[in-house]
Amino acid sequence: MTRLPTLFRKIPLPPRAGFLPAAAGLFILYPFLAGDYLIDIAFFFGIYALLGLSLNIVLGEVGLFDLGHAGFYAIGAYTTAILNTQLGVPTLLLLPVSAAAAALFAFLVCSPIIHLRGDYLCVVTIGTGEIIRLALINNPFELTGGPNGVFGVDFPGIGDFFVIDSSIKFYFFVWLVVALSAAGLLRLQRSRIGRAWNYIREDETAAAAAGIDVRSYKLLAFVLGAGLAGAAGNIYAAKLMCVSPESFTFWESCLMFCIVLIGGMGSVPGVLVGAAFVSLFPEIFRPFAMYRMLVFGTVMILMMMFRPGGAWPRRRFTPAPDELSGGSRRNDE
Amino acid sequence: MKKAVLFVAVTALMLTGLPRTAQAADPVVIGLQGPITGPWAYEGEMARRSCEIAAELINKKGGILGGRKVEVRVVDDAGEPKTGALAAQKLVGQKDVAAAVATYGSSISETASTIYEKFKKVNIGYGVTAVRLTQRGFKYFFRTCGRDDSQGAFFAKEVPSRFNARRIAIMHDNTAFGKGLAEDTRKALQDLAGAARVEVVFYDAVTPGEKDFRVILTKLREARPDVWYYTGYYAEAALLVSQARSIGVTCPFVGGNAAINDEFVKIAGIEIAKGCYMTNEPLPSDLPYPEAREFLDAYRAKFGEIPSSPWPIYAADALNIIAHSIDKTGSTRAEVLADYLRDTVNGVPGITGPIGFTPQGDREGVPFYLYVVDASGRITVAK
Amino acid sequence: MRVFLEQVINGLTIGSFYALIALGYSMVYGILKLINFAHGDFFTLGSYLGYTFLVFGSAALTSRLGIWGGMVLVTAASALCVALVGIGVERAAYRPIYPAGRLPAVVSALGASIFLQNAVMVLWGPRYRAYPAELIPDTALAWGGIHVSLLQLVILLVSFALMGALYVIIQRTLFGAAVRATALDRDTASLMGINFNKVILFIFTLGPALGAVTGVMVGLYYRQISFTMGWNYGLKAFTATILGGIGNLPGAMFGGLILGLLEMLGGAYISAAWKDVFVFLILILVLIFRPTGLFGEKTAEKV
Repeated sequence: MTRLPTLFRKIPLPPRAGFLPAAAGLFILYPFLAGDYLIDIAFFFGIYALLGLSLNIVLGEVGLFDLGHAGFYAIGAYTTAILNTQLGVPTLLLLPVSAAAAALFAFLVCSPIIHLRGDYLCVVTIGTGEIIRLALINNPFELTGGPNGVFGVDFPGIGDFFVIDSSIKFYFFVWLVVALSAAGLLRLQRSRIGRAWNYIREDETAAAAAGIDVRSYKLLAFVLGAGLAGAAGNIYAAKLMCVSPESFTFWESCLMFCIVLIGGMGSVPGVLVGAAFVSLFPEIFRPFAMYRMLVFGTVMILMMMFRPGGAWPRRRFTPAPDELSGGSRRNDE
Repeated sequence: MKKAVLFVAVTALMLTGLPRTAQAADPVVIGLQGPITGPWAYEGEMARRSCEIAAELINKKGGILGGRKVEVRVVDDAGEPKTGALAAQKLVGQKDVAAAVATYGSSISETASTIYEKFKKVNIGYGVTAVRLTQRGFKYFFRTCGRDDSQGAFFAKEVPSRFNARRIAIMHDNTAFGKGLAEDTRKALQDLAGAARVEVVFYDAVTPGEKDFRVILTKLREARPDVWYYTGYYAEAALLVSQARSIGVTCPFVGGNAAINDEFVKIAGIEIAKGCYMTNEPLPSDLPYPEAREFLDAYRAKFGEIPSSPWPIYAADALNIIAHSIDKTGSTRAEVLADYLRDTVNGVPGITGPIGFTPQGDREGVPFYLYVVDASGRITVAK
Repeated sequence: MRVFLEQVINGLTIGSFYALIALGYSMVYGILKLINFAHGDFFTLGSYLGYTFLVFGSAALTSRLGIWGGMVLVTAASALCVALVGIGVERAAYRPIYPAGRLPAVVSALGASIFLQNAVMVLWGPRYRAYPAELIPDTALAWGGIHVSLLQLVILLVSFALMGALYVIIQRTLFGAAVRATALDRDTASLMGINFNKVILFIFTLGPALGAVTGVMVGLYYRQISFTMGWNYGLKAFTATILGGIGNLPGAMFGGLILGLLEMLGGAYISAAWKDVFVFLILILVLIFRPTGLFGEKTAEKV
């Protein structure tokens, strides 16, 4: 392992990370070698990486069954779109604002339901996601533009001299945010909060018995996860310059779910792999036209068959198969 | 190390998608962006087929620019804005694509047309009726289909007086197109004043993909409208009318231009369908132009039926007018084509009538008629 | 009042479809803890198979058996085929994943759902299909001003009969007891001598078969089918399953019916555009106050 400057030493790198400098170099060179179409694909890869990381907090670290995460993504995107087009608030400033809005929404909505167990929580999250999407379509108070959505979002920038307006700039912008988030999440994993989260995931009753405030930690996970998704929404809105309800369906929530599972629950590099699969696969397989979704579905099944722990599972979290099934054979999860 | 190699390999594979320069005898490539997969897959498929037929007809007549064939390059946007952005990005990156027929769905077109505008590529929308799309001052965006406000205005002018209706019910499907048309119609109705004043007694939306509308239809029945306008698609329209009649809704039914077609008649059955009205631009089967007959005959010969909605036919017209412009200007450069389309194209015969564009890029002067399904199931102009 | 009654019948019809699909979900869910996303696609497949059988066998069917007889045969044939597909999916996509736990199974189920849905699209094309009107009875009745159709009544009767039959099987027969026992505690059940594979066979033939029957009924009733229709019905049915309580089969049934009635209430008295929001809000409220579903769940509590 190379000697890292003190500032970075606190960030725990996953094992097998020796290739990181090479990969980083490739990442930086990539947009200068590829055309705009390929850069944009990489941009959306970054968005899905961010969304995957955000759901990973809730699903991967704490094990909460969240199938409505697209709702938080939508809130972030629409907050940006509405505040920017109606009140002229600069898009870049709206990045933390959208994150905060989504986080606040999660706090308000999840507080009364956080005590629900596994599958019931799942259905409630599905319901929340659907309510948000339907509300956006129905255009309450003429705010959300109905099925057409809101358009005319400005590019993010600082004043007039630094504006993010090209594919390359968006690429670096989103991946910078991804890198910062990943670093922060890796630190969180090693902290007390991360350990508490994992404890809750493994055995909630024991965690409570050990004195962990389960409710607060779960809520924290939701709030952080929603905030990160909201930030992703802001960047997405800035890039597409408009937001509409089709981008925030239950299907998107399912895709995010797959990213975390296929990549590896609780694994930051795993989420990146999962995001790559979900965003690059449909583009690479365009020539197959309508057969590509058949292949997509098959690959998902095969992935779970051969690598149920994920493509890049969390090192600490690879117990032997019968340990996993031992916990799930009894019907109380 | 293994992962780095894999990453490089994948990147290299993707970079091979970069285009090469075109040569003289190469075909002229026109892009088609549409929802080949996803919830609007049936529209995308028909649009693809229509452009295929249109290109075949052109090539059969000798092609353009001195014998070069027209080739259609299809990119799927899955009916979703993000995929639409990628699809548009893909087409602009391919230097041999002269122009694009794009796309279907106003919210997808919003982003896609912005990309085409930025990279200066002519794009003609065929299923995009939101008014605001041509209010952005874009130079390269056109559309061969109509707009929501013109159809709404026609409804307000024709329907209440024809049916002596004071109480109007409007129903839509919460899609960009359906809701847009419903709102513009309601606005137009509200503008009617004096002796022509009407009351919109019912205004609500159904969810496309659902099948059971009895609940909302019972509500409609209790509102006692004199006429009922549905601005959504034929799939729901057929179900709505059948179910409505079975629970005792007796007022005349008028559909928007996506609501009534042969599929509607087939699904609802002639007994139910006859007597239903529709606001529509002139149907291809009505047009005296040989272009329409030729196109429909060729389509029917290859696929066994004609398109069941108006949008694929607009796509064919978009392709035709692009090919026509390339041929007449002798150039595939976007600035030349855009200027030609805007300034010179006027009354060029098309499948859906004479084609011309306003300075903003809208389809010019498309008239609307009131159609009715007659006793034998055919859709004809209402007398 | 009469309008209200009509709406109630409408709500019950929608609800019985949800209930039947929810039953299939609940069986698999109760025993395997698996959210079978592909279940909605069994429903779609059943509908499309019914369409194909009806269209290609129409002449033979109606001449020999009459319209009603034809429908019964088509439904049975479709149910049989889908039951086979159900077993196939279980063997191919779920069985290898059981040891890995619940969450990978969800992803696998999603993959199976994508595969099935797109397979239907590839095989039958993306266009909507319509059950031929000539082959379906369309007598309408008007009792004291309430409009119902004969087909609607028959469907309601058949749905309730099926629900009742399933209830009897699960609650009153020995095999049903075995199914319930496996749902409670799989390991102990096998210790008691219950053959787990037989139970799996049962739920993966009956569940998809029920879904297929519902699919054909939906096709006959609404006449129009599309390859995406399973997704919405599946989502609503899953909601009904949870609303009724996990592992609780009668609960799933009532959950479906209640969901249908709620949709009706929302659509008729609030707004059709907001009805789904209304339904989900009620669902969330119910779960806040009754965290194990309306009828509670039939599983052991971990201490």
